[in-house]
Amino acid sequence: MERPAPVAVPLGQAEVFQALQRLHMTVFSQSVSPCGKFLAAGNNYGQIAIFSLSAALSSEAKEESKKPVVTFQAHDGPVYSMVSTDRHLLSAGDGEVKAWLWAEILKKGCKEMWRRQPPYRTSLEVPEINALLLVPKENSLILAGGDCQLHTMDLETGTFTRALRGHTDYIHCLALRERSPEVLSGGEDGAVRLWDLRTAKEAQTIEVYKHEECSRPHNGRWIGCLATDSDWMVCGGGPALTLWHLRSSTPTTIFPIRAPQKHVTFYQDLVLTAAGNSCRVDVFTNLGYRAFSLSF
Amino acid sequence: MSSESSKKRKPKVIRSDGAPAEGKRNRSDTEQEGKYYSEEAEVDLRDPGRDYELYKYTCQELQRLMAEIQDLKSRGGKDVAIEIEERRIQSCVHFMTLKKLNRLAHIRLKKGRDQTHEAKQKVDAYHLQLQNLLYEVMHLQKEITKCLEFKSKHEEIDLVSLEEFYKEAPPDISKAEVTMGDPHQQTLARLDWELEQRKRLAEKYRECLSNKEKILKEIEVKKEYLSSLQPRLNSIMQASLPVQEYLFMPFDQAHKQYETARHLPPPLYVLFVQATAYGQACAHMKSSSQPPRQDKTLSVAIEGSVDEAKALFKPPDDSQDDESDSDAEEEQTTKRRRPTLGVQLDDKRKEMLKRHPLSVMVDLKCKDESVLHLTFYYLMNLNILTVKAKVTTATELITPISAGDLLSPDSVLSCLYPGDHGKKTPNPANQYQFDKVGILTLRDYVLDLGHPYLWVQKLGGLHFPKEQPQHTVIADHSLSASHMETTMKLLKTRVQSRLALHKQFASLEHGIVPVTSDCQYLFPAKVVSRLVKWVTVAHEDYMELHFTKDIVEAGLAGDTNLYYMALIERGTAKLQAAVVLNPGYSSIPPIFQLCLNWKGEKTNSNDDNIRAMESEVNVCYKELCGPRPGHQLLTNQLQRLCVLLDVYLETESHDDSVEGPKEFPQEKMCLRLFRGPSRMKPFKYNHPQGFFSHR
Repeated sequence: MERPAPVAVPLGQAEVFQALQRLHMTVFSQSVSPCGKFLAAGNNYGQIAIFSLSAALSSEAKEESKKPVVTFQAHDGPVYSMVSTDRHLLSAGDGEVKAWLWAEILKKGCKEMWRRQPPYRTSLEVPEINALLLVPKENSLILAGGDCQLHTMDLETGTFTRALRGHTDYIHCLALRERSPEVLSGGEDGAVRLWDLRTAKEAQTIEVYKHEECSRPHNGRWIGCLATDSDWMVCGGGPALTLWHLRSSTPTTIFPIRAPQKHVTFYQDLVLTAAGNSCRVDVFTNLGYRAFSLSF
Repeated sequence: MSSESSKKRKPKVIRSDGAPAEGKRNRSDTEQEGKYYSEEAEVDLRDPGRDYELYKYTCQELQRLMAEIQDLKSRGGKDVAIEIEERRIQSCVHFMTLKKLNRLAHIRLKKGRDQTHEAKQKVDAYHLQLQNLLYEVMHLQKEITKCLEFKSKHEEIDLVSLEEFYKEAPPDISKAEVTMGDPHQQTLARLDWELEQRKRLAEKYRECLSNKEKILKEIEVKKEYLSSLQPRLNSIMQASLPVQEYLFMPFDQAHKQYETARHLPPPLYVLFVQATAYGQACAHMKSSSQPPRQDKTLSVAIEGSVDEAKALFKPPDDSQDDESDSDAEEEQTTKRRRPTLGVQLDDKRKEMLKRHPLSVMVDLKCKDESVLHLTFYYLMNLNILTVKAKVTTATELITPISAGDLLSPDSVLSCLYPGDHGKKTPNPANQYQFDKVGILTLRDYVLDLGHPYLWVQKLGGLHFPKEQPQHTVIADHSLSASHMETTMKLLKTRVQSRLALHKQFASLEHGIVPVTSDCQYLFPAKVVSRLVKWVTVAHEDYMELHFTKDIVEAGLAGDTNLYYMALIERGTAKLQAAVVLNPGYSSIPPIFQLCLNWKGEKTNSNDDNIRAMESEVNVCYKELCGPRPGHQLLTNQLQRLCVLLDVYLETESHDDSVEGPKEFPQEKMCLRLFRGPSRMKPFKYNHPQGFFSHR
């Protein structure tokens, strides 16, 4: 295969190490600033990079515009999830959640506003936080991750109000069902659980892998992604990507994608989904018909 | 004589009025005795006014008489003649009176003149006297001013000040009582004292001069003595040669080396001097802890023919003779056989790439008795240094197949500094020279001539700035000195790491990963996966592999690296690892790319856990370096790969739909099997607890 030979740059120890780091980097999370001009991205080394979207998307964008405006070490472990309030950027990784002020984040040597660690049961290993969810009505933050519980934290006071238990294995993802209000959580144990925030109890459990139409045993039973539209829910991961009707807890449509899904969102009437190890973002309409794919 | 004087006198006399009569009168003046009738005396008596009146009367009478005569004459008659006669006699008398009066007038005039003359003469004499006096006055005035202006020599002498004088001078000179009042005496006394002092000092001066003479003579004597010493010392040196050899103190040898060193070209000379200095400094630093016998880790020697080196600088006349001879020869040969253009070009190339006959040999001894032999050459026309390297070990090495390139002279020193591959000439001016003789690059000749690494140029003090090719690059000692220590250390590290790899490869080819005891803590006690194969791979083959594309695109797989393939197996699972070994091992880590064949082919593009395994050995290599100097890195990385494969296979979640037990039961202790949104396996080994966790 014809490939232009890469330029041999004299590489010292530092350059080789940097190149290797970049080859093995994974970006786990991202979040857009409230003003819409900046994008924060978190990677597996615990660094957060702030990119200027307005510069990168403008007509005069150069190579430097696509590099981060600032990069800093936020956590010791990977930054698995990030979410933005109207003033803060919240990032979570190895066991704790930190808050950064968007207005100050571009300055060098930015320090976190606060950091909180939910009360964990085990002390042998610090569990990771895989998902953050903002509940605007209550002004609280829900964290879920390695210790199989959902913790709610009040953003005003910083205290942890609830701990919702029920999952038997760690939690991958969260979704908010606005009307009730309910929180959906999907985990490694293959179950999607619905929690009522007012009563702090588990309202419903859907064990996806038990349904034959969607289960794919060779991939495992884990639920990697969740999205909900109050009446409807899409979930996927080990089992195939399925659209569920929540009230009846029945799968209605199974989307024909082979790879395990990592991300899915509802967008108006469409379902947008991205697989973890392909370069495509598939767009479906609710009827299970793949409209088209956006490719990298 | 007397006629002359009278002649002289006569003009005088003629000039003045009153002719000889006056002359007579002058005589009569002088003789004035009263005998003669002196009219002068009469003149004094008569009154000039009366004489004037007489004159007027006489003239009137004459006029009257003349008139009467005329009348008479005109009348005629007889008695006229008597009357005329009478009147004539009267007029004659009158004439006589007139004559007398004339004479008197003349005498008066003369007297007057004489008086005037006398007076004038007197006045003149007074005038002269006055002038004389005035002249004298002026003269005296001049003299006075001269005297007043006179500077006596004694004023030019700096005399000691008055106080000192009175203090120091002995009383018989200073004579205070006299001199205090009288400045003249004082000055005299001071001058006396000055004279005294000067005499004394002149004495001293003479004494010192004589001393000096004596001492000079002594110095001469001693010099002669010393110069006679030199030949004797030489003979002692000669006699002591056998003793030197016996005691292992080769001073003479060093001396000879320095002699030879004078014929070295400047860059080699700089290298020689700096290397010797560094070697001595190292020996000196270590000698305090070691027994007195010098244990040199760096030894420098000069090889080659000094005569040839001298021959390079033959005077032009000889070479012209040679040229004319060779021209004649050439003409003859052209008649017989024209040398082809290619042969001519070949000769020109050989001429351009000619080496200086002398070369410097540097031997670096490492702790384990292996030696790196470096021979430095100087290419005269290109003005660059090259080096040839050879590694010898204390014991004979059996080279494993895969280790062929490790210690080969061609590649053992490649990329000592990043990017310094030694295949291109560092001197930008050489490109123009190459174009003339059709040499494309120096790479083709490198095996023969040695490698022109950049650090070699720097050790020889040659610096080639990239922007402008310079005509003359001078060898600079400070450049060499600043690079010497780092380069020597790098060379030693390079040799030792290569030798370590050599040994490790021998073991790897037999399927054993040699993990030293001080690195055992990095791995669990039981490792089931085994290394089955370890081979070298060519650079092109590496580039063709489908799972190495990331590394190639990142520019980390150049042609200066060495490539290997390792195969690790457990059960039915086969893990292929393609290894990029950078010449700068072990400061630059080897890079692994994995491909697992078990239930399908998994690489980093389709399995995140494979990617995590690669990250464990590529990115987290610093934990695996082991004790300094970190030569265990490669073997530790391979061992870690075996452990990772174990973990991967054992933690693979069981597929419920497939029947049968798991191929690899879980034996490793893991806290959690999956973590994070990417569901990573626990690859991190914790010592000493012995369990696996996530990073």
